[in-house]
Formats: sequence, structure tokens, C-alpha cells
Amino acid sequence: MPPSRPHIVVNDLRIGWGTRVLMEHVTFDVERGSTFTILGGSGSGKSTLLRYLIGLEQPRAGTIDVDGLGTPHLYQGVPRFGVLFQSGALFGSMTLAENLALPLTMWTSIRGSLVRELVQAKLDLVGLGAFAEHLPGQISGGMKKRAGIARAMMLEPDLLFFDEPSAGLDPITAVELDQLILTLSRDLGITIVIVTHELPSIFLVADSCIVLDKVAKGIVARGDPRTLRDQSEIPFVHGFFTRSSLAASHGV
Amino acid sequence: MDVVVRADRDGDRARLTPVGQFDLPHAVTAAHAIANVERALVGCRLVELDLRSVGDIDGTGAVQLASLLDRVESAGPSTQVLDEHNPKAGRLIALYRRRRSASPLAQAEQRSVLARLGLMADRSIGTVRRGLDFIGHDAVAAQRAVAAPRSVDWRALPQLLQQIGADGLPVAAAANLLVGLIIGFLGVSQLGRFGATVYVPELVVVAHFRELGPLVTAIVVAGRSGAGLASEMATMKVSEEIDALRAMGFDPVRWLVVPRCLALVLAVPVLTWIGDVLALVGGLIATTALTDMSARAYVMSTANAISGPVFLGGLAKTPFLALAIGLIACGQGLATQGGAAEVGGRTTAAVVLSIFGVILISSLFTLLYAVMGI
Repeated sequence: MPPSRPHIVVNDLRIGWGTRVLMEHVTFDVERGSTFTILGGSGSGKSTLLRYLIGLEQPRAGTIDVDGLGTPHLYQGVPRFGVLFQSGALFGSMTLAENLALPLTMWTSIRGSLVRELVQAKLDLVGLGAFAEHLPGQISGGMKKRAGIARAMMLEPDLLFFDEPSAGLDPITAVELDQLILTLSRDLGITIVIVTHELPSIFLVADSCIVLDKVAKGIVARGDPRTLRDQSEIPFVHGFFTRSSLAASHGV
Repeated sequence: MDVVVRADRDGDRARLTPVGQFDLPHAVTAAHAIANVERALVGCRLVELDLRSVGDIDGTGAVQLASLLDRVESAGPSTQVLDEHNPKAGRLIALYRRRRSASPLAQAEQRSVLARLGLMADRSIGTVRRGLDFIGHDAVAAQRAVAAPRSVDWRALPQLLQQIGADGLPVAAAANLLVGLIIGFLGVSQLGRFGATVYVPELVVVAHFRELGPLVTAIVVAGRSGAGLASEMATMKVSEEIDALRAMGFDPVRWLVVPRCLALVLAVPVLTWIGDVLALVGGLIATTALTDMSARAYVMSTANAISGPVFLGGLAKTPFLALAIGLIACGQGLATQGGAAEVGGRTTAAVVLSIFGVILISSLFTLLYAVMGI
């Protein structure tokens, strides 16, 4: 596959339930190897869009194409991507090592000491090497997210989805997580799609972004977040990036 | 394509050339290839890793090659990575080597049987102490609930009565009806051998009103509502709702446990009473079906057999049984720590313990009545 071809192509996607439309005419590409962010305020449908991208929901109108293989369907062989859910979504009854080993034992013939070696390497990669035998209940929220990233990477996907990776983290832990995302992107060449509204994180990691708005029911801006911050004429987008009041732009 | 690692030995120098795909699908073959080549490195002082023939490589392959280099270095020889023809592979391997933690691989602690036995004994003391602590806390909470009625979630009471009482009625009633039938059948077959079927109505009354009615109803409630209450409490604990109550200055025991226990104490006697009536129906069906006793004669005989001590002796137990179910279920729920798996474990424990507690208390009452001569 030529590297110029986008990793994800979303075309005229419409999201809603029944007659209620959450967003429509959603069209965007995610370039291979880039870090792409989906931005928007609370309730703008960021996380819902992510559910469609990873195949938890099937689109009713429009198309999503991941890796040139069409709309992602779950339960069809080895997952093509890894997902970090908001809280890490680790299985509480398993140690971190067991959590990480699960996808390997499920999808590959790797067993025994090689599993331990790969699990340990991934835990080391996210800085949790010493916590292999801990239960998720025994570690902090930031550590759970990092463990979630490690688990998402066990099958060596070239595409990772992060749902609000730095939400609820202190600024220092959030920066550490952003550094980790940069490492994954630059050193491993992984395409990363992040749903977030954390501004410092956006400016640090994002190559490009789309901004969703619940009033406009769709994408209101796209491009490099730094350029959007400095040059956008749209009051909502300008307000979003400069943290000024959104009330004026919505006529509230 | 096969995955191999070629080794070219030149005196005390060795050059390793991994050939093929070092990725997740080929991890097992790569592991064999690496294990094979490590034996050829004994006595080397310098080991070079030439990455020019590495095809596709991902994190898994990089980890395997990084581990190989680490193992070689820890055995003595120095290593060098030649990555000018494959910088991506070099970068990946370097990343995983850089991130490798200095700490040795943490292993789960292995304990001997004796040590585990000791730990269990040690923990059981704590469990008993926490159980007593909880009962004491409840006793205090009940007093304070009376003194400060606003500290109890009274609005939940009607719904709890509905869940425990009305919703539980069909299964409790069915269980009692069947037990009444069983006693009737047993009475007819055993007493019938002495021609004493005329005493079957009295047997049903005494056996069910005094002993089996409260017990059967309590066991049904323990299985149904005990599990429900325990899992509700456990989920609230896991999702920090209990902590939120505490932080808002509410005593979770007063706010949650008091109305639940009260609902049980109110509902279980009523369920038992209805169950008693249905057991009489069961006995009636069995007796009139198997013998020539008329329904009228059965009812008359039953009416004569029902006495204050028999009826009230049975009902008097029920609040205690209900309280035991409530305390055990809520106590287990509130003791939950950790995640989803613990919720299931605590719910199971609540049901098992409350059924056992119900049987134990019932036995104690039987003993007490025997001593009192009732």
C-alpha cells in the first residue's frame, strides 16, 4: 500500500438515533503515521464518533474506511487497531501482566516465557515495568491509562485510538502521557487518533485536528491546531482554542 | 519467508545477521532462531548485530532482538548494532532497550501451604472482628436513626418493600405451597402406616408454622433479596458512591442499611404468613388427593390444630431471620474492595452466609423453644 494513501477515510458520515441527528456530513482523512485529534466541547459527539471509528457502532449513512479494508467490524479476526478507553478498561480481577497477555494468548500461538518477555517489554515501554503483578485496583488512574496503552499495543497495531487520554490526570502525569504518545508516533510510526479537549496536549502532540460542535451538528473547523488557534475566523473555534467564553458565539 | 539468524564466527568476534520478518506473526519462529544462535556465541568478546537483512519488523521482533542483545551483554561480550541499512529496525530496538526497567522481573510471591494456612487464620480474626464491628455500628446507627430520622433514606422504603415483599411473593408463595404439599405427602405415607392420617393437618400446621415456614421463606428471601442488596451495595462501593455519601456527611449504614433492614423486617413476616396459608393449601391438596378425608374435615382439623404458641412461635423468629439477611447482605456489599470480580464474589458470599445464618438462627430458636417447653 503506498504510504500516501490515508489510513482512515471518513466520507459523509451521519450519526444519530431515530430521527435525532447528532452530526452529519462528517468527512475527513487521517494520514498514515500522523497524530490526529478529534476536538469539541462536552456533548459534541467526540466519543460517539470514536465508537463508530472502532466499529462499536455501524454507520447508518456515509462510509468509514480503515486501512483500505472498509468499515471496521468487530469479531472478524485479529483487531487491526488498539483502543485506549477513558478509564483504561483493565480487567479488575487480572494483574497487569495478565491483562496484557490476554490479547497475545487469544490471537497468537505465542506461549510461555516469550509472552512474559513481550508483556514485560510493553510494560517497560510505558514505564510500568515494576507493576506487572499489581491489580488495576492497586495503581493510580494515570498508571491505569498507561497500562491500557500497553495492552492496546500488544498486537502491534499500526493504528491506536485514545479516548480522552489525559482526562482526570494531573498536569505532570498528563505531560508524561503526551510524551509517551509522541514516542509511539515518532519512534514506532503508529497512526494515532485522539479524542480530547485538553488544550496543552493538543498543541504538543497533534499534527492535525477536526473540531466538532453540537450546535452546528458536525465539523466546524479542520487543520493544524496551532494555525486554527492563531488564524480561525470562526468565533466558536477561536474561543475553543483561546479558552474564551463560548456563550457569545452560541448567542446564549 | 523463513526467519533465521545467521552467525558468522571470526575468532572472538561474531556477527549475527537476522534474516526475515521479525513481527508478531513470526514471533514463535523468531524465538527458536534466536535460541539456536545463542549457543554459537560462547567465548565471544564482541557480538555485532547486522540488521540489513531484517524484513518487516514491529515491536515484538524488536523486543526479541533487544532481549538477545541484553542477554549477550549480561553474559560478558560487548555488542554493537549495525543499522545503517535499516535505521527503522535500529531505532525500534534502541527504544525498547532504553525503556527496559532496571528492576528484575517482578514475580508473584510463592507461599508454602503452611504460610498460607497461617495467613488465612490471621485474616479470619480480622474478618470476625470487622463483622462484629459492623453489627455494633448498625446497633448505634439504628438508635441514631430514631433520634435523627432525616439521616435515613426513608424515600427508598416503599420501593424496597415492593422489591423484597411484593416482587418476592410469587416465588416465596410457590416454595411454601410445595413444602406444604411435601409435608402432606410425607404425613399421609408415614402416619398412614399407623392409620393416623387424621393427624396430617396437625402435622402440617406444627411443622410448617413453627419451623419450615419461616425457614423456607427466609431462604428464598436470602437468595433473592440478599443477592440483590449485596450486589447493589457492592456496586455502589466500587463506583465510589459510598465514599460520596461519607464525604457529604452521611453515615452509609444509617442512610442505606437501616431502611433495607427495616424493609426486610417488615416484609419477611408478611411473606411468611402468606406462605403459611399456602402451605395449608398444599397439605390440603395432598391429603384429600391421597386419602378419603374431605376438604371440610381437613379444614376443621387444621383450625383446631392452630394454636397461639405454634403460630406466633414461628412468626416471632422471622424478624430475626430478616435482620440477619439484611446485615449479612449489606455488610458483605459494603466490605467490597476493588473491581467487578469482587462484586460477584461478595454477592456469592452474602447469599451463602445469609442462608447459613438463617438456618443457624432457626436452629437456635428451635432449641430455645424446646428448653422453654413450647
